[in-house]
Amino acid sequence: MVVGAGPAGLACAISAKRKDPQLEICVIDKGSDPGNHNLSGAVLEPDAARGLIDVLKENWQDDELFIDVFNRAVERDDILFFLGKKCKLNIGPLIRFAGMCKLPIGNMRHDGDYIVSISRLAKLLGREARRLGIEVLFGFPAEDIILSDDGSKAMGVKLVDQGLDKEGNKQPNYSAGEIIEADVIVLAEGCDGLVTERFIEKALLKRKTNQLYSIGVKEVIKVSEEQYERFGDNRVVHALGYPVWTPVLGPGMFGGGLMYSYGDNCIAVGMIVGLDWKEFDFNPQDALTHFKNHPFVNQFINDGKVIETGAKMIPEGGFYAIPRDSETNSIGKGNVIIIGDGAGLVNMLKIKGLHNAIHSGLIAGEVIAETIKVPVTAAQRFTEIIDHSITMKEMKQAGTFRQTIAKFGNMAGFPLSVFGGLLPLFRTEPDYRTMRKKKYKYKGNREFDKDTFTALAHTEHREDQPSHLTILDSNICSTKCKPVFREPCITFCPAGVYENIMGVLKPANPSNCLHCKTCQRKCPFDNIRWTVPEGGGGPRYTLM
Amino acid sequence: MSDYIVLIKQVPDISQITDNAFNPETGTLIRGRLQNVINELDTEALAFAHQMKKLGGDGNDRIICLTMGPPMAEEVLHYALSRSADIAILLTDRALGGADTAATANPLAYAIRKIEREILNRSRDYYIITGMQSVDGDTAQVPAQIAEELDIGCVSYLTEVAFEGGRFAFNRIISGGSQVVAVKKLPAVLTVAKYEYPLYASFSATRRANRTKIIQWGASDIHATQIGAKGSKTQVIRIFPPGKTTRKCRQVKDAQELANVIFENYYRDVSSSARGAASATNYILPGRRSRNFERNFEGLERDNQNFTMLADKMHELGLEDFYEIDEESMSGLIDAFVDQFGKKGIEDMIEGMKQFNPAYQGDVWVVAEYGEGAIHPATLELIGKARELADSLEVKAGVVLAGHGLEDLSRRLIAYGADNIYYIEHELLGHFDPLPFRKAVADLVSEYWPQIVLFAATPAGRVLAPMVSYRLKCGLTADCTSLDIRDNTKKGQVAILLQTRPALGGNVMATITSINSRSQMATARPGVMKKVIPDESRTGSVFRHEIDLTDADLCMDVQKYEVSSGMVNFEVEVIVSGGKGLQNRDNYEDLINSLCTILQQKLGTNVEKGASRAAVERGYIGRAHQVGQTGTAVGPKLYLALGISGAIQHMIGVANTETIIAINSDPNAPIFKMCDYYLIGNVEEIIPQLVKGLGA
Repeated sequence: MVVGAGPAGLACAISAKRKDPQLEICVIDKGSDPGNHNLSGAVLEPDAARGLIDVLKENWQDDELFIDVFNRAVERDDILFFLGKKCKLNIGPLIRFAGMCKLPIGNMRHDGDYIVSISRLAKLLGREARRLGIEVLFGFPAEDIILSDDGSKAMGVKLVDQGLDKEGNKQPNYSAGEIIEADVIVLAEGCDGLVTERFIEKALLKRKTNQLYSIGVKEVIKVSEEQYERFGDNRVVHALGYPVWTPVLGPGMFGGGLMYSYGDNCIAVGMIVGLDWKEFDFNPQDALTHFKNHPFVNQFINDGKVIETGAKMIPEGGFYAIPRDSETNSIGKGNVIIIGDGAGLVNMLKIKGLHNAIHSGLIAGEVIAETIKVPVTAAQRFTEIIDHSITMKEMKQAGTFRQTIAKFGNMAGFPLSVFGGLLPLFRTEPDYRTMRKKKYKYKGNREFDKDTFTALAHTEHREDQPSHLTILDSNICSTKCKPVFREPCITFCPAGVYENIMGVLKPANPSNCLHCKTCQRKCPFDNIRWTVPEGGGGPRYTLM
Repeated sequence: MSDYIVLIKQVPDISQITDNAFNPETGTLIRGRLQNVINELDTEALAFAHQMKKLGGDGNDRIICLTMGPPMAEEVLHYALSRSADIAILLTDRALGGADTAATANPLAYAIRKIEREILNRSRDYYIITGMQSVDGDTAQVPAQIAEELDIGCVSYLTEVAFEGGRFAFNRIISGGSQVVAVKKLPAVLTVAKYEYPLYASFSATRRANRTKIIQWGASDIHATQIGAKGSKTQVIRIFPPGKTTRKCRQVKDAQELANVIFENYYRDVSSSARGAASATNYILPGRRSRNFERNFEGLERDNQNFTMLADKMHELGLEDFYEIDEESMSGLIDAFVDQFGKKGIEDMIEGMKQFNPAYQGDVWVVAEYGEGAIHPATLELIGKARELADSLEVKAGVVLAGHGLEDLSRRLIAYGADNIYYIEHELLGHFDPLPFRKAVADLVSEYWPQIVLFAATPAGRVLAPMVSYRLKCGLTADCTSLDIRDNTKKGQVAILLQTRPALGGNVMATITSINSRSQMATARPGVMKKVIPDESRTGSVFRHEIDLTDADLCMDVQKYEVSSGMVNFEVEVIVSGGKGLQNRDNYEDLINSLCTILQQKLGTNVEKGASRAAVERGYIGRAHQVGQTGTAVGPKLYLALGISGAIQHMIGVANTETIIAINSDPNAPIFKMCDYYLIGNVEEIIPQLVKGLGA
C-alpha cells in the first residue's frame, strides 16, 4: 500500500511491480485525478529520469505523453541576483566557478536537467503504473495509520469518514472511513504529510533538527510568441535577492524567484520563500507580484495570461531533519517506509528534491519486492541502501546549508556555507516561532487577488463538510495574536481561507484550501491544524 | 422486493467551461477541451436508488446501471460500480449515434426490456430511476419518452423518498409547490430533480469495480425500432453562440439615479439580447410577398442572401414567372452563379422556389396549464406566440384545456388571443397525472392534427409534451426561447417552425426543426414569450370533448399537496443578492427584505433573494440562496449585487443576467469591472435611500 500518487510513490510502486510482478500493489491518493496535487518547479536531473525510464519501458520514444513530459532539457541556466526593484546581477558565472572549485554552493546548477511539469509527470507515472497492473486509486484520503498493539508493526491505514455535514452530523450518504490492511505501507505523501507526521509521532521517530519549510507560489503564464522566443524554450532562471532579501536594509528572507520555459508559449513563474520569515504582514504572493514586476521578469510576461496557479510547501531541513528511528536509524520503521518529500529528501544546495523522491521510490520498491516475506525488515533494509546511495551522499553534503542560513541570515550564511560539511549543525527554531512585530518593506497597498488565484488552481471541496482546518484555541487568536501580529494567517494563506468574522478568526473558506499546509507551520502560536478533507477535494493542477 | 434500473449519462463537464471551449465561428463545443463526467443529476439518481434499496429492500435487490454512449462512457459505469451498482451495462454502437431524444429513448427502452427478460427473469417488479435531465441536452425528455415507449407511468421531479406502511412515498416538485405521491403500478420511471447526497466511492467497491466486467450491448442485441439520426424526429440546423451582452460598467452617482436605472432597465425591451427571445419580422407566406421570387424568410441568413441574389438576377433577366424560364435564361442564371452554388445547386434553388404550399397543414395549438384555479402565466404567453404564428400562417390559434370544472376559463383564453378552445372534461383530470393527460391531449391532437403544438416548459409540461410527442411519433424541442416560422426553400419546404433553444447550460444556442413528423411540437421557456393585452370583446368557439378514463389510467396516488413558501425560485426577473458587505445577518434581512418588497411592489414581478458564498458562509441566509459557481447559476433580467466584491466564481454564476447593478464601498471591487451600473458607497446607507428613491 502506497499513500500518495506523486513521483515518489508511483516510482516505488512501479519498481516493486517490475521486480516482482506477483505483488499486489495499491496506490491511493486524495486528489481527484492523477497529478492534481503535485506541484514543483520542476527540474529533474537526468540520472533520475534515466532511473525512471529504466523501470518503465523500452519503447518510450513512441509515446506522446512520455515525450511531452521529457522533451525540454535545460540549455540556458541563469542565476541572477536582483539588487532592487530594477537592477540585476548575473551570478551564474560565480556559481559555475564555485562548481569548478567543488564548493557545495556550486551545485546550484541545472545544465542538462529536464524541465518537467511534475503534475504531468505524475499523470504519466500513474498511467504506466496502471498499465503494469498496479491499482492506482484517486479520491481516497488517508487520515491515520493503525499500528499493532505493541507498536512494532503497522496494520493498515484508515481513510477519512465522508458524508458529514458542517457540524459533523451524519448525512444520508455518510460512509465511515475504511481501514485498508497491508503488509507493507509506504508513506509518500509529500511535504508535511498527515499520516506521515502521525506515524512519526506514534512510532516515536526522531528528527535531529526541526523540519524547516518554505512555500512556493507558482503561476503558469501564457505569453506572446515573441516574448517566449526571446525567453527561450529551454531556459531556467533563478533569481535571488529582491524582493525577499536585500543586503543590510532587509528584508532578510531565504528564497528567490524562478522562471522556467514550459512550452506552448508558457512560462512558469514562481517564488519560493522560507517559512522562517519574520514580517507579520508578509504574503509570499506579494513577493511573487514584485518579482513579476521586476523589469527583467516583466519583459517576458507583460500582458501574459495566467492560466494556472498553485502553492505548496517544500521541506528544507535537509539531512538532519529526516525522521529516523532512534534505535535502528531507519527512515520509517518495521513495515513502514517514508520516501520523497515526506521524508524531507530535498537538497537545498540544488534547490531540488524531485530526483531524490524518485530515487528513494525506486529503492523502496526494490526493497519491498526483496523483503516481502519478512515485511518488518523493509524500513531497515531501505535505510541501509539509501544511506549508502548517491541520494544520501548529496543530502549529507547539503546537510547544514539551510540551517546555517537560518542562523546567520543570507549575508553571512551564504559565504559560510562554502565550508559545507565542515560546519556544525546549528540549532534552529521551528518556523512558527520566527515571526516578529516587523513589517514587510515592500508591502503594497493593494491586496493580492486571492480569489482569482484559487480559481485558477481549480480548487474545489464539497462545501457542506466539516472544516478540515481547525483553530485549536480561538482565544489565542484574539488575545495573543491579533494585538501583536494582526492574525497573519489571513494575510499569508495563499487561498484566503482565513477571515476574521465579527471578531472571531475562522477558517471561513476551507473550500478554497490549496493543501499547502503553510498555516499549520507558520501560525505564530502553532494554533492551526490541517487534516484531510473528503476525497477529490483540493486543487486540480494539470500543468504544475 | 424490487430491483432498480438506474440510467446514467456521460456528459461534458460544463461547470468547467471556458470561453476557449467553443469554436468562435460555429459556436460548437470543442469536445476535447472539456473533461467528461457523469451527469450530476444521475449521481443523485444513483444515490436515490441506493436510498430506496436501503429503505425498502431485503438486501437482495439489485441496482443495474445502464448507459448509452461511445465506448468511453464506460467511465460512468465505473463510477456507479464503485459506489452501489451491482451490474453495469453499456449500450454502444455507432448506429445509435446522432440520435435525438426519441431515438435515444427508444433503444434505452428496448435495452430495459432486454434487462427485464434476461436479468430480472421477466419480473415486472422494478423501478427505472434517472436524473431529471442531463446538463448537455437539458431537455428532460428522454425519461418520459422511455415511459411512453414502455407504456408505464412516469413520476418526475422527485426530491425525497420515505418508506411507510410497506410503500414508498415520494416528494416531488410541482409548479409552485410540492406533493407527496405513491406509485400505483410497477414498473415505473422515476426522475430525480434534487437529492443532494451523492454516494462516495468505497475503497473496496472501487477495487471490485476495476475487476468487474461491464456488459456491452450493440444495436443488434436490443432490436430497437427507432435509432440514430435516421430514427430521429428533430434535427439541428444551426448552432451559434448566444449574443452575449458586454457589460457597460457605468458609474451611477447616487441612489436616486440608481432607482431610475433600475426602472429603465427593467422596462427596457431587450428583444435582441442574450435571452435569445429575438423574434424578427413576422413571417409572410411566399404567395403574399411583395416581389416575385422573393425568398427572404430562410432559416439561415446565408440562404437569404443567396436567394436575394438569385431573385435579383432573375428580375434582371426580365423574368416574371417560373414558366418563363427557358434554356437561355437558365444558362444565364447558371453562368452567373455556377461558381457559388454549382449547377445542381441552382436547379434545386429554383425548383424550391416554385413551392408555395406550406409544409404543414392545420392550426397552431397551445396546451394550457392551470393550477390553483388559474391559468399558468406561461400558457398566456404561449397563446400570444401562437396568435402571432397563426396569423402569419393564416390559420387559427387553438388552446387545449384538459381538466375538471374549468369551462369558465375559456373566456379568458379567448381574450388572450385564442380562436378555438378544445375542452376535455373529466374528473380524473382534476390534478396533473401524466398518463391520463397525455392520453387526452394525444387523442385530441390526432383528431385535428394541428401543425404546431406548444407546451409550457413547466414541471408538468416537460413530462406531458415528450409523452404526447412520442405517442404521436412527432418531433419535440424542449425549452425553446424563440419560435419562428421560416422557409427552407432549397429543400422545397415552406413555413416550417424553427425552434431555438439554449444548450450546454446556456453556452450555445441551437436551432432545431421537426422532421418526419405530422405536427411540430415544442415546449417554451416560461417568461420569454410575450403575452398580448387581453381583449374581452374577442370571440371564439369552444369545442367540448369526452374521454374515457378509469383509475387504472393513473400512475400515481397523490397523498399530500403543499403550496410552497420557503422554496427558492431563481427563475424570476429580478434577484437581489447580498454579500459580506452587509456585515451581519440582521442587516442582510432588513436591507435585502426592504429592497425586495419595494421592487416587488413597484415592478409587479417576483423578486428572489440571493447571496454570495461569503454571506452564506457567515450565516446571513441559507445555502439554497447562494448564487454562483458552487451555488445556482442565474439569469434574471436584473441582478442587484449589494456588498458583493465579485469573485470570479460568483460572476460566472450571473453571466446570463441582462443587467447587473452593483453597490460596494470598495472602489477597487472587481465587480465594478463586470457589471452594467455601479455605485460606490456603503450598502447600509445606500439601500434605505434606494428604497426611498424607488418608492417615490
